[in-house]
Amino acid sequence: MEIEHVSKKFRLYHERNQSIKSAIMRGRRSVHEDFWALKDVGFEVPVGSTFGLIGSNGSGKSTLLKCLAKIYYPETGRITYNGKIAALLEVGSGFHPELSGRENIFLNGSILGMSKKEITGKFDEIVNFSGVEQFIDQPVKNYSSGMYVRLGFSVAINVNPDILVVDEVLAVGDTEFQAKCAQKFVDFKNEGRTVILVSHSMESVREMCDSAAWLSHGELVKVGPADETITAYLESLPGASAA
Amino acid sequence: MRYLKEVLQSRELLANLTLREIRGQYKRTIFGQLWSLVNPLASMLVYTLVFAFIIRVQPEAGDPSGLDIFAVWLLCGLLPFAFFSNVVQQGMGSILGNVGLVQKVYFARIVLPLSKVGSVGYNWLFEMGVLVVVLVICGAFVWPWLPLVVVTMFLLAVFAAGLALILAVANVHFRDTQYFVSIIMQIWMYLTPIIYPISLVATQSDKYGGLFGTSVTILDIYRINPMERFVAVFRQLLYDNRWPNPQDFLLCAIWALAVFCVGLWVFRRSEKGLAEAL
Ligand SMILES: Nc1ncnc2c1ncn2[C@@H]1O[C@H](COP(=O)(O)OP(=O)(O)OP(=O)(O)O)[C@@H](O)[C@H]1O
Ligand SMILES: [Mg+2]
Repeated sequence: MEIEHVSKKFRLYHERNQSIKSAIMRGRRSVHEDFWALKDVGFEVPVGSTFGLIGSNGSGKSTLLKCLAKIYYPETGRITYNGKIAALLEVGSGFHPELSGRENIFLNGSILGMSKKEITGKFDEIVNFSGVEQFIDQPVKNYSSGMYVRLGFSVAINVNPDILVVDEVLAVGDTEFQAKCAQKFVDFKNEGRTVILVSHSMESVREMCDSAAWLSHGELVKVGPADETITAYLESLPGASAA
Repeated sequence: MRYLKEVLQSRELLANLTLREIRGQYKRTIFGQLWSLVNPLASMLVYTLVFAFIIRVQPEAGDPSGLDIFAVWLLCGLLPFAFFSNVVQQGMGSILGNVGLVQKVYFARIVLPLSKVGSVGYNWLFEMGVLVVVLVICGAFVWPWLPLVVVTMFLLAVFAAGLALILAVANVHFRDTQYFVSIIMQIWMYLTPIIYPISLVATQSDKYGGLFGTSVTILDIYRINPMERFVAVFRQLLYDNRWPNPQDFLLCAIWALAVFCVGLWVFRRSEKGLAEAL
């Protein structure tokens, strides 16, 4: 996967008032400031590697992932990749709270582009991996946030993506599930698939990722082997010298 | 073309979302699907009471069916309009109502408004089925016209879908749209000959003749309304039991196609910006 000179601009309206009246009052010129959440970010993710994305809050990690997942479209630059991409951007994204876990697996699977036959074939595997068998016929609004993630993650990995994009959702899973996920990432890598993940847990990035990129205020600071990038990032933090 | 292909590829998702709407709709209600009949039935009672009993509006008897029942005549126009109005209003809110999905997952966004067409259409099919039974009981010979009724229903669905696509986009950018449209829909219903026959408009129009020295009459302007044509065709088929007026039918098809194409174009152009604008 290649990310070339990607920039993403958001418009910040001073009065975020989406009404016809305010549009008319503003006249032709709309009052907004441009905010560049990503500035000329470019790097390459080798196929079959696990890639970490680190940086402080608001540095543009999620924005970059959304560009990868085709939810946002960058103003400039290009993102090219081969194969199918599946993104897990937030806990329970794509779940309908009133429907049961079972119905949601089918709904979520079809949103992620699986056919009904595929889902039926993988249903048991999905449920097994998630470990929520007992509650599969309960509406998901009664699930704990960890269970949400388990189910969502299980569906996403069973889409059979060539590239899996995961935002920091795994943090809510318990130790057992995190170990399961880590194992899954290793399997993915062995199968030649690519995983891109965002995490604030430096240990898990160090453990799981081959290489990593560090974003700061929308700019790429460093990209390279995970260890080096993390060390550089930690050193840049205030109080790092003491540690 | 590539866009159409992508939409076609999402048809399974479309079916699933439609099912989700249908299943979720009357969940935890005792009467279930019967609720979908209550609304039109209540309006029918009120309108019949006010317009047939108090104001004494008298539509012509069905020709050649010979039907002369205000309530049935009313339903032949009211059910299609209620469908149209529901699709437009629900479809319009479908993007805003699924913020979680739109901002978190990539999929062809067009399935959201289209799934509303499906779920509202499902209710409509049910209502029309009941109407046909009522018509048969009242002595209408409606069977030969059912295929054409289905075609017209399809055209109306396409027309409503087109409008819903345009308004769904507008609603994301200007949240006023939904309030505005609910008023427009009320006015629109009264500007369509649903609870009164168009002959009353014709009488008034004849009184004034050509407007501003031209040959354009009030009736001509009144009949620009595409819903007038749709209602006319539905009544010709269901209530009168005869071939629809070819001009009316053709105009329905043209309106449906034109509005749908515009809707598709507008939606496609703004689809990529939707996640940000929410
Ligand atoms: N839809 C939006 N409109 C305006 N600004 C936005 C939008 N989405 C993100 N931003 C801005 O872009 C910047 C980067 O946000 P982003 O969510 O990518 O950060 P992040 O790196 O994921 O942070 P965190 O570690 O907290 O998850 C933030 O300053 C945020 O305010
Ligand atoms: Mg984030």
